[in-house]
Amino acid sequence: MIKTSAKKILVAMTAAATIGAASTSYAEEPIRIGGIYILSGSAATYGEFAQRGINLAVDEINASGGVLGRKIEMEFEDSQGKASVAIQAARKLVYSSGVDALIGLDSSGVAQGLVPTMPELQKPLIITHAATPDATGKLCNSFTYRISVNVAQNMKAAALVASKLDATNWTTIGPDYAFGHQSWEFFGNYLKDIKPDVNLMSETNFPRFGAEDFTPFIDRVMDSDADGVLISVWGGDLVNFVRQANNRGFFDKDFELLFTVGAATEVLSALGDEMPEGVHLSTRYWYDAYDNAVNTHFVKAYIDAYGVPPSYNAEGAYAAIYAYKKAIEAAGNTDGAAIAKALSGMSLDAPNGTITFRKGDNQAMVSPNWGVSGPMNPEYGIRTLMDLQIFDGEEVARSVEETGCKL
Amino acid sequence: MKTKILLAILAVVMVGLIAVPWIASYFYIFIFTEILILGLFAASFNLVFGYTGMLSFGHAAFFGIGSYAMALVLIHLEWPFLVSLLASMGAAALLALVIGFFCVRLNEVYFAMLTLAFGMMVFAIAYQWRSVTNGSDGLAGFSLGSFGFGLDLTLGNPAVYYHVVLTIVAIASAVLYVICRSSFGMILRAIRQNPERVSFAGLNVRTYRLVAFVIAGAFAGLAGGLIAPFLRVASPELLHWSMSAEPILMAILGGTGYFLGPFAGAAVFVLLETWITSFTESWMLVLGIILALMVIFFRKGLLGTILDWWMEVKK
Amino acid sequence: MSGIVSALLNSLDIGLLLFIIAVGLNIVFGVLNIINFAHGALYMLGAYLAFTLINIVGMPFWAALLLAPLGVVILAVLIDRFLLRFIYSRDIADSLLLTFALLLIINESVRMIWGSGIQVVQPPQLLAGSMEILGSSVPTYSLFVIVMGLLLLAGLWYLFNRTRIGRIMRAAALDRDMAEVLCINTRLVVTGVFAFGAWLAAVGGVVAAPMRALDPGMGDKIIIESFIVVVIGGLGSFPGALLGAIVLGLIHGFGGRYLPEVNMLLPFLGMALVLLFKPHGIMGKGANA
Repeated sequence: MIKTSAKKILVAMTAAATIGAASTSYAEEPIRIGGIYILSGSAATYGEFAQRGINLAVDEINASGGVLGRKIEMEFEDSQGKASVAIQAARKLVYSSGVDALIGLDSSGVAQGLVPTMPELQKPLIITHAATPDATGKLCNSFTYRISVNVAQNMKAAALVASKLDATNWTTIGPDYAFGHQSWEFFGNYLKDIKPDVNLMSETNFPRFGAEDFTPFIDRVMDSDADGVLISVWGGDLVNFVRQANNRGFFDKDFELLFTVGAATEVLSALGDEMPEGVHLSTRYWYDAYDNAVNTHFVKAYIDAYGVPPSYNAEGAYAAIYAYKKAIEAAGNTDGAAIAKALSGMSLDAPNGTITFRKGDNQAMVSPNWGVSGPMNPEYGIRTLMDLQIFDGEEVARSVEETGCKL
Repeated sequence: MKTKILLAILAVVMVGLIAVPWIASYFYIFIFTEILILGLFAASFNLVFGYTGMLSFGHAAFFGIGSYAMALVLIHLEWPFLVSLLASMGAAALLALVIGFFCVRLNEVYFAMLTLAFGMMVFAIAYQWRSVTNGSDGLAGFSLGSFGFGLDLTLGNPAVYYHVVLTIVAIASAVLYVICRSSFGMILRAIRQNPERVSFAGLNVRTYRLVAFVIAGAFAGLAGGLIAPFLRVASPELLHWSMSAEPILMAILGGTGYFLGPFAGAAVFVLLETWITSFTESWMLVLGIILALMVIFFRKGLLGTILDWWMEVKK
Repeated sequence: MSGIVSALLNSLDIGLLLFIIAVGLNIVFGVLNIINFAHGALYMLGAYLAFTLINIVGMPFWAALLLAPLGVVILAVLIDRFLLRFIYSRDIADSLLLTFALLLIINESVRMIWGSGIQVVQPPQLLAGSMEILGSSVPTYSLFVIVMGLLLLAGLWYLFNRTRIGRIMRAAALDRDMAEVLCINTRLVVTGVFAFGAWLAAVGGVVAAPMRALDPGMGDKIIIESFIVVVIGGLGSFPGALLGAIVLGLIHGFGGRYLPEVNMLLPFLGMALVLLFKPHGIMGKGANA
């Protein structure tokens, strides 16, 4: 009841705004896209790298005639990794800057807060990084899309990797919020399905996000009976974690280690050869995993511009801008609901192959990449990925029924 | 004459505030909602700081618990909005009673440190008690039900919610103002200036401090109850010490010696933040410089400085 | 057993790092009656200057350990001369607020100068790797941190008890007017003490750089820890800072390991209990050693 009348007002307002926009000379007006990323604090590199990918795509598109003859203009806001800040940033972008679409989100917690408010804003959002399954699951709505791998997809792949290893006693070290807890939950369930004789230990480790000293947690795992560890620590925390684990001799023990976002180039270049060899690293996108024209072009352009290979976050953000280009051209206008509708079921040639936003939950069917860390790449100062596995996006995804999404 | 002019200005401001949804762009509805809520939060803090002279570094505990109470009540009990607000106030008042009981025994920096410790304890509990608070992600996805009083208001509409907030904040401020102006408020000010003298007069300083602390906590809880539906989330950062720093900044910015100072401070704070972040990401740098200048040169705050200047001109 | 040994050593290395940082905060409070909210920001500056000297200029770690804190000392003298001098005679709330403003300014400046990315400093070759102690492997660098903390402790003890400057500082802490009567140039003492506190913060930053990833939020994390240390040990007390640092180190080392469900609560609980039962800290007030 309340929702419908609020919606009516909003629809009326959007309509009024569209009419207002139509009466001005629309051909010169740029298309505005708002980006919401973590731009401060210990995870700020992720926001920085996303901005790089976005700027690359925007420059390419603007240089080749724009979208519907209009240029794309970006405006960024800092989410600080906090849901409340991100929600206000989204309001500012939509109501004050008048953006036509939103892109962003690095943190699961932020996604859980912001996604339910998207229908009110009446603008589409493409998530490029935040991985909580809920965003395209029980919290899904017709305005929210995700172009990056989610926790469920990646943990299905992780479980497939883990099932081939000898380890039987599994535990986890992960950040103490949605991402860490959901990673462990999904990983455990999938692994139990594939390999029922594994033991999921009740003694888990969830240091707070941004904790500086992981040593007590590392020691706890070293003293336990675990022989397999799922590590979902990420960003600056992962850099701290790996260095402290090195100091503790953690990597000299015979653990099977799965780093769920270990092959983020942000982290790999900070760590250099401190990232041990022979551990399983995952990423949503590995720059030399795909042999297609779009990827070749993207990787070359990115390296030319920034001197380092693109990270998954840069790739997701880059692809999302192209997704908006395609959707806006399909819709023929920049009405929020129309763009959102065009995105549904849309396929796109992205650096990581042809990806499709599934109609039932708006999740892109993208492929998690898993590999084993190998020798250093001398050119970029990062570890290489050996035995690369590209899981089929469709295969590792939950069925629409399983997601709990009702669109 | 002076009070008449002030009252006239206040009336104009009030009319302007009521008219915001019609005269300003849609975005400013959100900005002014935030200003009003944070203004109430800062005003409640100023009862402890400006009036009683106690620098609390844990005031966010009451603000935050108010928002958590609101979120929990909406999720689990689905009470009407007004009743939920009372729950926010009640929870915050209770917490303030417990924390205040211990804190009012200490003075100055020890008081500041103890309130910081209690505030961060509440933060840690919210962060780690996942089954109730959903940990660092906070509680989100709750929806507002009925308003209460049998009124049919669509609280989900930002303009309606703004007017609700405006009404509640206006009433709460009036109550706070009456408290500050009462003999109780006079005693608080006397405590700030000279606690020994007040206790020689046979009054129990601690009791007065505690009552002030609880009242301030209750109103901070009310502000917290209002912010949760606005932000759509109740999360630990609302309890963090950096949130406790915000009302301090606002009170200093606006002027701690004036009842409306914290509101003016909140307005300046939020508007500046909105404008400056549009030009640069370095809002904190600008804020730091402004704060440093205020503390060194304009200790009376904006309102105080303007009023002084006005008095000067009138002479 | 080896678990307890490693937790103990871990507690000691966190504890002594915290001691280096917090003792500076405490001396400044003891002598100047100022709570320096920007102390953590100065610690961060030390770490970032070390990063620049080591990774960009290419200096050895030991040169950075010497030079980076001096850079911070120069800044501290400027802060003292141009900002703090206005508020030394005012209420303690003013110094808290002014240094909070400084914290905002320094944090944002660091972000503008060095970017918001993660930076890493390598430990010197001599201190890389780990050693075997009582059956558990201990990073050599942790031992260095412990030794460094103990050296500073000895140096401070000597300073306060055996030198004229130390006695002057203690005199100024007890009674600034009296110190002035005795023809001690308190103006110089004030600047010197503030700069010395900043030097300690920066040394802590350089020592921390090879252990922790650098980011512009690192100062905020350490300042609250430092508050806890000085409160537990006793505001203004120099041995108290050591005790507080070790207590907090133990809370972190053992809390994270054996009580991970409540490990965030414990430091603040400890802080509150000390304030309630011994408000002036376990070691009482006064800058005497």
